[in-house]
Amino acid sequence: MFSFKANKPSAFYWLKHPQHYLFFKIFTWFWVTIIGTVTALIFFSNIGALNLVSNEPLQGPIEKNLAYTAKSIERSAFKHKRSLNSILSHPRLSKRKLLYLSAEQSEDSLTNKTVPANIDLSLLNFTKNMSPQVVFTEQYQAFGPVQLTLPEGTFYLYEIDINNQPPLFIRLKLMPGWIKISIAISASLILSFLFSRNLIAPINSLKKAAVKLSSGDLSARATISANRKDELGVLGRDFNSMANQLELLISSQKRLLADISHELRSPLTRLKMATGLAQMQANEASQPYLVRIEKEANQLDKMIADVLQVSRLEAKSQTLSLQKQSLQVIVEHVLNDAQFEAKQCNKQLTISGDTKVTINCDEALIASALGNLLRNAIKYANNTINIKLSHADTVHIEICDDGPGVPNNQLDKLCEPFFRQSNARDRVSGGTGLGLAIAKNAITAHNGTLVLSNKDQGGLCANITLPIIKE
Amino acid sequence: MKLLMIDDDTGLCELLSEYLSTQGFEVQSVHDGAQGLKLAQSNDYALILLDVMLPTLDGFEVLKQLRQTKLTPVIMLTAKGEDFDRIFGLELGADDYIPKPFNHRELLARVKAITRRIEHINSLGVTNTNKLLVNGVTINLGAREALINEHTLTLTGTEYEILALLCKNASEVVSKEQISEEVLGRRLASFDRSIDMHVSNIRKKIAEHIKTERIKTMRGTGYVFIQGE
Repeated sequence: MFSFKANKPSAFYWLKHPQHYLFFKIFTWFWVTIIGTVTALIFFSNIGALNLVSNEPLQGPIEKNLAYTAKSIERSAFKHKRSLNSILSHPRLSKRKLLYLSAEQSEDSLTNKTVPANIDLSLLNFTKNMSPQVVFTEQYQAFGPVQLTLPEGTFYLYEIDINNQPPLFIRLKLMPGWIKISIAISASLILSFLFSRNLIAPINSLKKAAVKLSSGDLSARATISANRKDELGVLGRDFNSMANQLELLISSQKRLLADISHELRSPLTRLKMATGLAQMQANEASQPYLVRIEKEANQLDKMIADVLQVSRLEAKSQTLSLQKQSLQVIVEHVLNDAQFEAKQCNKQLTISGDTKVTINCDEALIASALGNLLRNAIKYANNTINIKLSHADTVHIEICDDGPGVPNNQLDKLCEPFFRQSNARDRVSGGTGLGLAIAKNAITAHNGTLVLSNKDQGGLCANITLPIIKE
Repeated sequence: MKLLMIDDDTGLCELLSEYLSTQGFEVQSVHDGAQGLKLAQSNDYALILLDVMLPTLDGFEVLKQLRQTKLTPVIMLTAKGEDFDRIFGLELGADDYIPKPFNHRELLARVKAITRRIEHINSLGVTNTNKLLVNGVTINLGAREALINEHTLTLTGTEYEILALLCKNASEVVSKEQISEEVLGRRLASFDRSIDMHVSNIRKKIAEHIKTERIKTMRGTGYVFIQGE
């Protein structure tokens, strides 16, 4: 509950092992797919677009206009007996668009203007037997044919509209290859990136929230947009409602513990009072039992006080009466008591260094944290307890005993309320099972840290750091 | 000697009355705040035991209203660990506090410490006209009152005792431990701020009449009443 440590990878882990990230997998797949598609398109358009011709039936004003032009050419030829060449060179026609008169024999075909070299009109031959069409080729659009019956023979009239501006895909085709490739790459790169990020963002948010939640921050939630309707959105919202439920359950459980403890106090006060009355009237024989009752009532009282203290600290509802204090005064006070206790148990307490610094603290709370740790050390030490005090950027207090220590896998759990080691840690010496939980919470409330570890040569070490007020 | 107990725990009230009656006290108990306040205002009790959590009026409200007219000694019954309750009670003028659940001996000691003073006056009577004049503050040992320029300071019993103790030892450092033992009749627990709270109340009351500081804090040791400007 208290000390969950995520293995934080180094900053460039993702660079070294991109295969460990779903983001890079999805990103790579999208990117490769898009690049592949674009490359294939370019490749096929290069082969296929060279002689691209398509046609569709011609209708509307252009058809009528074309038919009218055809009629006027026929009329000129028959009525005015003018040669085809003179008709076509007449300004009325030659000013117009390019007209193409296709003959049965292609060498007899005529145009009213010179045709640019890159225009291949022979492409139109396949339409001769069709009704008027619009024919699209790369270089031009043609409207026709309309059959002309002239003295010189039968012709098919087309009006040709040369594409002055090549269409978009032709312009694209004309671009240098390296530009085409780099555009394709960067566009697909950006798109794939955005797409994969959009996919991964909710997963990352879920991951962060889950880590926070498991480290005890019950208010952690995944940030998922309410508009997100896909599976990830649903998953995120489900996760959040799970977290809500969890928070509710745990907080009500903790409140219950605090409430019960609080309510237990009234009967306990009465119990103590009644015991006092009984002691005044009891005979010699029952006196030891009454002393025992009193002792047990006091133990109960201490446990209730500790439970309430832990739950207040955990709920952060403890009002810390913070004051600028010399830590040395507090430490000396606690050490004096500990020295006395150690002597009673025939154990040696050695102290080195000092903590002559000012800290902002609730002295009673810090004293109870240190006192609990020292009492714990004295309880489990074989002979000596070493206390090292030092200060630089922060205050550092180390309390080590030479006792049996604690199995490494249980170190994290030591600070949980009522945690008991499976072997031998009993309540004989009057502990409540809450001392370390109080210590941990009290130190955390002061923005400090408490780390418990085993010494190589045996024994448990408590390392405390607390922030210093800079003078 | 008559005590008033204001606590909604009727069982505790019964046990406590029985216990204290064996020690020579007569205990009257009421179980809600408003009723308690009325009784406290209209009678002269030697001491009031006042719980914090009460129906109708809570303990703080009772104390606040009572202090407007009376200086009857008050011991607050606070929940253990609720430091705020303790400090707030002392600030409002409680003479002492005792955290619940308490030990009968502990309670008796505190009750006796406070009532002892009253017995003391009764034995001496108002005939004692000994006065102590230190640096503008007059301590009237007989009438148990403190005056500044003819103005009476409205001090609670505990505050008077502390001020008198400081004045008797003017210019000397009086340790918090000594104050606690002599005035409250108990050893000062570690990190107990009760004495600081009482002294701070005394300072505020003196400051209403004279601007210059009379009581100086000796960090980590105790207090000194300054003699001479």
